Amino acid sequence: MAYVAVSGGKEAIEASIELLRYYRSGCERDLELEVIEEKMSLLVDRIMGEAGFYSKRYAALALKQCEGCVEEAVFLLRAYRSTLTRKYYSQVVDTAGMRVIRRISSAFKDIQGGQILGATYDYTHRLLNVKLEHEDAVALREKVLTQLQMQTPVEVSACPRVSDELKKEGLMDSYPESDEEPFDITENLLEFPAPRSARLQTLARADTGFLSGLAYSALRGYGLVHPTVGELRTGYVEICVAYPFDDTQSIFLGELLLTEAETFTEADDKDKLKLTDGYGAVFGRNENKAIAMAIADRELEHKGPYPTQNEEFVLMHGDSLEMNGFISHLKLPHYVTFQSKLDAVRKTRGGNA
Amino acid sequence: MEKKRLFKILAKADAASIARLAEELKAAHSITMVKEPNKTLTMIKMREPVKESLFYIGEVLVCEAVIELDGTRGMAVTMGDDFEKVLNMAIIDAAYNRSVFERESELLRLEEEQQVAEQKENAMHMKTMVNFNSMDSEVPQQ
Repeated sequence: MAYVAVSGGKEAIEASIELLRYYRSGCERDLELEVIEEKMSLLVDRIMGEAGFYSKRYAALALKQCEGCVEEAVFLLRAYRSTLTRKYYSQVVDTAGMRVIRRISSAFKDIQGGQILGATYDYTHRLLNVKLEHEDAVALREKVLTQLQMQTPVEVSACPRVSDELKKEGLMDSYPESDEEPFDITENLLEFPAPRSARLQTLARADTGFLSGLAYSALRGYGLVHPTVGELRTGYVEICVAYPFDDTQSIFLGELLLTEAETFTEADDKDKLKLTDGYGAVFGRNENKAIAMAIADRELEHKGPYPTQNEEFVLMHGDSLEMNGFISHLKLPHYVTFQSKLDAVRKTRGGNA
Repeated sequence: MEKKRLFKILAKADAASIARLAEELKAAHSITMVKEPNKTLTMIKMREPVKESLFYIGEVLVCEAVIELDGTRGMAVTMGDDFEKVLNMAIIDAAYNRSVFERESELLRLEEEQQVAEQKENAMHMKTMVNFNSMDSEVPQQ
C-alpha cells in the first residue's frame, strides 16, 4: 500500500494547527521551562536520550510545545539539532571517574566503594500522595536547601568498576584499549554486521519502551534469560574538548548526567569457565533503559534464533523518530491503493456469490 | 592556571560572577570580537568497559566565542546557550593568555565555594550508602 499526493485542504490544515493552540493553551497558567526542567527531570532525561541531544532547556521547550508528547518532542529536538553545526568532538569521557550519585550491584553484597542507593523510587510505596496536590513549593525548596547547607562536606571519590575486579581475577576477559574511531550513525547509513560502536550508539538513542520490551522478552525466555546487574551507576562525568590555541590543554565544557549498567552472564566459552558482560549507557537518570540496553548488547553479542539476538531486528526498529514516522505515515491518504484492495475484495466476493 | 581548571571554575560559576570579572577587563582593555557567540554541537565520545572500544553516546548543545583583548586571543566553549556568559569567559581567557588577569584570587574563591557545594551534595548521597545483611546463610556476610 502506498500513499498518494493530494491537493487542497489548506484552510482546514491551517485551522487544525490553530486548534492545536486551543489544546496546548489548556488553562491560564503558563508552564515555565524551569519547572519542566527541574520537576519533570526524568521525562526530560528520556527525551534527551532518545533524541541523542543533551540540552535540558531545549528538551523542556520541546515538551512544552507538543503537550508533553514524547515522540513529538524527540522529533522537534532531532530537527533542531540538524540545523546546528558540529564543531567539536569531546575527549574520551572517563566514566570510571564519574561523580557518583547512585551505584548498586546485584552481583555482590560488598563492593569496593560501597553500594550507594542515591535517590530511587525502588523502595517507595506506590501510593498516590494526595498531599502533593496543594504543595507549598517554596517551603519545600527552602527546606531541602537548608538540609543541604547543614551537611558536613564529604570529599568526592571515584568508585572502581565491579567488572574490573573480575577482570583482575581472570574471571572475565580483558581487552587492550582500542582507539579506533567510532562509527557515527548520524552521518553514515547503518550496515550489517554493524560495528560495536554503531550498536551502542543506536541502542543509547533507542526508544525506552522498545528497549524495555525487548529486554523483557529475553528475560521471559526469548534469549539468555537472566543476567545479573553487576553494576548500575548514575553520576556526573566531565566533558572536555581540546583547547584550539594549544592542544596540550583542554576546555571543560560542563558536566553531563549519565547512567551506566553492566550485566553479567556466563561467557560463550565451551566450559562456561568465565563470565562476560553487556553494557548500557544513557543520558540522565534512566536506569531501566540502561539495564535493557546492556541486556540487548549481550544478546546481540551472543547471537541466536530470538529477535533480541538478531542485529537487524534490534537496531532497525528502536528509533523513536523512525518508528513513529513510519506508523504516522499510515495517516496519509492511501486512497488509490486502498481502492484497488477494495476492488479486489469486491471482485472475490462477487465471484463467490 | 591550567585551562581545564580555569574553564571548570568558569563553567560552574553563575553568569553574574563571571560578568563582574569581565566588566573590569572590558573597562581596562580593548576588546575586539573575532567570532560572535554562536551555538554548535559537541559529539560525546565514550569508552565502554566490555571491549574497551570507543562509541558516540550523543551530542550536547554548546556555545562558543572568540575575542581579542589588546590583540591577544581568547576563547571559550561551554555547555548551553548563554551567549553573554561564554563571551565573558572568552574575555577572561584572553586576559590569562595576555597575563593581565589580576583576579585569580576571586576564581580560587569561587572554586572553593563550588567544591564545598559539591561535597555537601555528596554528603547527602553518601548517607544512602547501604550495607545489606543477607538472610541466606550461603551468602558470605563479609
